[in-house]
Amino acid sequence: MTDRSKAVVLWLLVGFSVVTLSAPTAVIIGASLTSGKIVTFPPDGLSLQWYAQILGAFDLRAAFLRSLYVATVCTLIALPCGTLAGIVFAKHRIRFRKGIQVYLLLPFTIPLIGSGVGLMLVFGAGGLLGSLWPVGLACCAINLPFMIWAVAGSANALDPDLEKAAANCGAPPVQTFLTVTLPAVMPGVITGALLMFILALNEFLVSLLLVDSRIVTLPVLIYNSIRSIITPDLAAISVVFVVVAAMVIAILDRLVGLDIFLKSK
Amino acid sequence: MGEAVTTSATRTDAVRNIAVSVRRVSMAYPAVLAVDDVSFELAKGSFLTILGPSGSGKTTLLQMIAGFQAPTSGEIVIAGQPVQSVPAYQRSIGMVFQRLALFPHLTVAENVAFPLRMRRFDARTIPGRVERYLDLVRLPGLGNRRIQQLSGGQQQRVAIARALVFEPDLLLLDEPLASLDRKLREEMQLEFRRIQRELSVTTINVTHDQREALIMSDEIIVMDRGRIQQMDRPQRTYRQPANRFVAGFIGLTAFLPVEVRSVREGVARLRIGGAELQGTVAGDDTLLPGGAAEAALRAEQVRVATTGAGLRNLDTVLEGRVEDVIFEGERIVYEVLVDGFNEHRVRAFDHDPALHAEYPIGAHVFVGWNVRDLLVFPA
Repeated sequence: MTDRSKAVVLWLLVGFSVVTLSAPTAVIIGASLTSGKIVTFPPDGLSLQWYAQILGAFDLRAAFLRSLYVATVCTLIALPCGTLAGIVFAKHRIRFRKGIQVYLLLPFTIPLIGSGVGLMLVFGAGGLLGSLWPVGLACCAINLPFMIWAVAGSANALDPDLEKAAANCGAPPVQTFLTVTLPAVMPGVITGALLMFILALNEFLVSLLLVDSRIVTLPVLIYNSIRSIITPDLAAISVVFVVVAAMVIAILDRLVGLDIFLKSK
Repeated sequence: MGEAVTTSATRTDAVRNIAVSVRRVSMAYPAVLAVDDVSFELAKGSFLTILGPSGSGKTTLLQMIAGFQAPTSGEIVIAGQPVQSVPAYQRSIGMVFQRLALFPHLTVAENVAFPLRMRRFDARTIPGRVERYLDLVRLPGLGNRRIQQLSGGQQQRVAIARALVFEPDLLLLDEPLASLDRKLREEMQLEFRRIQRELSVTTINVTHDQREALIMSDEIIVMDRGRIQQMDRPQRTYRQPANRFVAGFIGLTAFLPVEVRSVREGVARLRIGGAELQGTVAGDDTLLPGGAAEAALRAEQVRVATTGAGLRNLDTVLEGRVEDVIFEGERIVYEVLVDGFNEHRVRAFDHDPALHAEYPIGAHVFVGWNVRDLLVFPA
């Protein structure tokens, strides 16, 4: 194949991917801008009325704040757990390493509905149903492997001599961890933390089983709404989600650079 | 130094100006004895190279001196103090690592300042000191660069500055030059030597590169299979190898299996195939008449000529045939099959090929050397 035809094929593939990946987002953005009363695409005239409406809707705002709270709790728990676990898996030959690794990755292999029912039973027995922070804990439990992988990826790329070098420079073990190991795996920590935040913010299935009507999170609220009638305000909410996710990715790019996703093994 | 615990042995060290004593140190892994009963002493300010093939135990020895591994037996004394209970971070040792292990999230100046901060130097003196050491390694004004922005040679210099900035009792070099290309490596060898002399810091360098060892060191320890084979000054290590291993590891050496006929005053009469030879008994090895031995002959001690007359000033002159010619630029290596030597070849350098005719493969030539250069070791 000539360079030219290779370039044409590549561009076609890229174009196709971009279109298929962004089509749902484009449709939802369009639908949210409609001036009509039902979800249609292309939109029936342009207006921001639905954004004004969701801004004014108390239940939506409260649900959104609850989702932020859940995501924050989840991230705060995942930060120490995932960081330490990721470093240990990457750098230390610990006993039962394989077993522990499998155990920690288990949430991935179990269908979310299974995890959800299990957590519901556990939290119910512990009398935790009805409060919001256990939902954050649950999100952390099911998504922790993402955090561990992100950190372990960074820690694996670490030169094993780096910690020896720190010791040689006079740093005791705790100082070595704080001043050398932790900063060196920071890209993985940031990536993992933002991932955990986004996943918890959007988490639906497990939350559905753990919340009641007083503490619904935003995805659950949306689900409840579409069971009756799909109105354009849901499209507007979806756009808010897209914007939050885009912001997180922008932050990630600023802090770490997105190329670590392409380079990670 | 804690006076109360100073033993008589360590007091002697201080008096005798010994920077490092390694005493009967061994390191046993489940499957292998990596370091086997190694002892040596190193005078303050000197540059020691531990030379050996991979798996010889040289790196393990260095790791034990640095404090990253504990010997299974034996004692290491640094600056008069036994260090077995001193963790790595409390030893006054600077180290340049094989892959340098610079801190990637810190700038050049922050890397060099790191040991000073960890060792609680007065914060006001740190910037000045960092600058002085960046000057020493000839990187003035690059303190604000990131490590990734530097070339390989510049990174080497940062690693040297970081290892030396706190004025350690001892500098360890763990093959830091191994990954550099040849030109840069040779430049850095001289640079290490310059800095080491300027600060007269006691240095232990580990390498498998014999040239580097000969160029840089005051003393060379040759190690093989966990044991010291020879500890000597470079010239003696090269000219008077203590055993067959050292003779083979350093320099381009041909070994000839010989039979000892007789030995008198350090000169052995030998037989190889149908030919008779004379050689010098190496070291204080004893050779028994009638026993088997090996004769080592360095390529640069052997001369090649088209006529025997050209080699008149040499003790031993034999005829042979050129089997192979290797052109290396500044020299040509000939492999010569000497008549009567069976399949055993002798190697010879020709350092000035421009002045001579180049002998083709198959050419009939004369080779010659002196009896003192044919070293005989027990087989």
